[in-house]
Amino acid sequence: MSPDDSAEPERPLRALFGEELGQLHLQVELMCVLVDENLERMRTILVDGDVGLVSVALRADDEIDAMNLSLTERCYVLLARESPVASDLRLVVSVLRATSELERIGDLALRVVKLAPDHHLLTADRRCHDILVSMADDALDRYRMALRAWAMLDLGLATQLTSPSTAMDLATERLTEHLITLHGTDAVPIALSVSAAARALDRIADHTVILGARLRYLLTGEPGHLAAEVR
Amino acid sequence: MSDDTALSKPVDLEVASAPVVEPDPAPSVFELDDLHVSYGDFLAVKGVDLDIRKHEITAFIGPSGCGKTTVLRCFNRMNDLIPTARVEGSLRYHGVDLYAPGVDAVEVRRRIGMVFQKPNPFPKSIYDNIAFGPRIAGVKAGLDDVVEEALRRAALWDEVKDRLKSSAMGMSGGQQQRLCIARAIATNPEVVLMDEPCSALDPIATARIEDLMQELKHDYTIIIVTHNMQQASRVSDRTAFFVTEVNDESDTRTGLLVEYDLTEKIFSNPSDERTENYVTGRFG
Repeated sequence: MSPDDSAEPERPLRALFGEELGQLHLQVELMCVLVDENLERMRTILVDGDVGLVSVALRADDEIDAMNLSLTERCYVLLARESPVASDLRLVVSVLRATSELERIGDLALRVVKLAPDHHLLTADRRCHDILVSMADDALDRYRMALRAWAMLDLGLATQLTSPSTAMDLATERLTEHLITLHGTDAVPIALSVSAAARALDRIADHTVILGARLRYLLTGEPGHLAAEVR
Repeated sequence: MSDDTALSKPVDLEVASAPVVEPDPAPSVFELDDLHVSYGDFLAVKGVDLDIRKHEITAFIGPSGCGKTTVLRCFNRMNDLIPTARVEGSLRYHGVDLYAPGVDAVEVRRRIGMVFQKPNPFPKSIYDNIAFGPRIAGVKAGLDDVVEEALRRAALWDEVKDRLKSSAMGMSGGQQQRLCIARAIATNPEVVLMDEPCSALDPIATARIEDLMQELKHDYTIIIVTHNMQQASRVSDRTAFFVTEVNDESDTRTGLLVEYDLTEKIFSNPSDERTENYVTGRFG
């Protein structure tokens, strides 16, 4: 370095890229909201059996799928064009993972939505139905915690999410215990429909664990959090 | 979360997801402690502490004027050629203070070769360019073998073996730079310093030099100054990030080492926010 070398004044560079990353984060939030709306429809259908909502939910899921595809392509373009590193790279790869999880959560919600024609089976046993609704509430609570964590990039909320839901585990256990006591001609169809719904709700809660783990990785850069995604 | 399958191989998740850690550090070739470099009253670089490891490629990155090249030139006492230059602190090469009285700067430069930003072959034949250093060092017998070996190591032999007596000035830019690398290693140094060796080259010639560096590191320790962060992340084992500290009172700028770590760490999860801002391109 020679005395006459002049350092450039500090100013933000790659501003356009920075804005694109901001937009990417925002688009994931929008996708989260779309999924949230379908989860709410799922719960309504589970409670009331409102078959009119089924077509609305199916259309909304198409929109979620399209958004997943669009955001995936956007991430690929950013990877190819900008060669992001460090926190920028973590954001792009985390968006890829998060959108894939959101798409999956949307699909799981549809599994319950598609049980609408069998709503009489889901409500045939009061206790089973109550447990299912409590599971849906728990899945929604966890999902909304994930949505808040992502929106605010909140490490505390993300950490909370990575602990699996004990309420969901207990509900699943109670449901299984109750299902095996069912008897009568409709016992098998009831058990199959209720189990299908319960399985989907339990999986939704599982996917929020992955969202929390991925957010922790994004915020801390610690690769150890990636392991939580596959456990 | 994926289900277990009988076909899936068990993976040790603790290992697979472990933070970036150094497996087994190579021994140090250089140890810098609180190194300061001044030109007259102007403090160009201050307080550099780092170890350069054997058979590794170490990259120096940072904005223009942050002192990367200044520090690089300390390793083979090139700063001695600037009358006002002063080096303080400690720079040890295998435990020997390179700036201690009695240390022969010429011998230092024989052991620690240098390749510059722009290819600078002598206006002589390809053969004479390589033979120059060994001749100066008194090598007389086996010079042909020395030239061939250097050209082979620089991945240039097959391209020039039939025209060794041709002028080096007729070679392409990429070939000239590989010739300069061959010239640097012909004296059998232990360390090769490279000051932006690819900045004047096209992408193909750059890729050849980068491949060559990977080959050379098995035999040499390499320190490279580069403005190309992707190059640093591709080729180096460790990266040192420097910044410029502005002194408002004296209106001068001094280079400062911010972070020195494994390259994978620097480009995935750097410890210092200034490094993060630089490698992500937010600030230059």
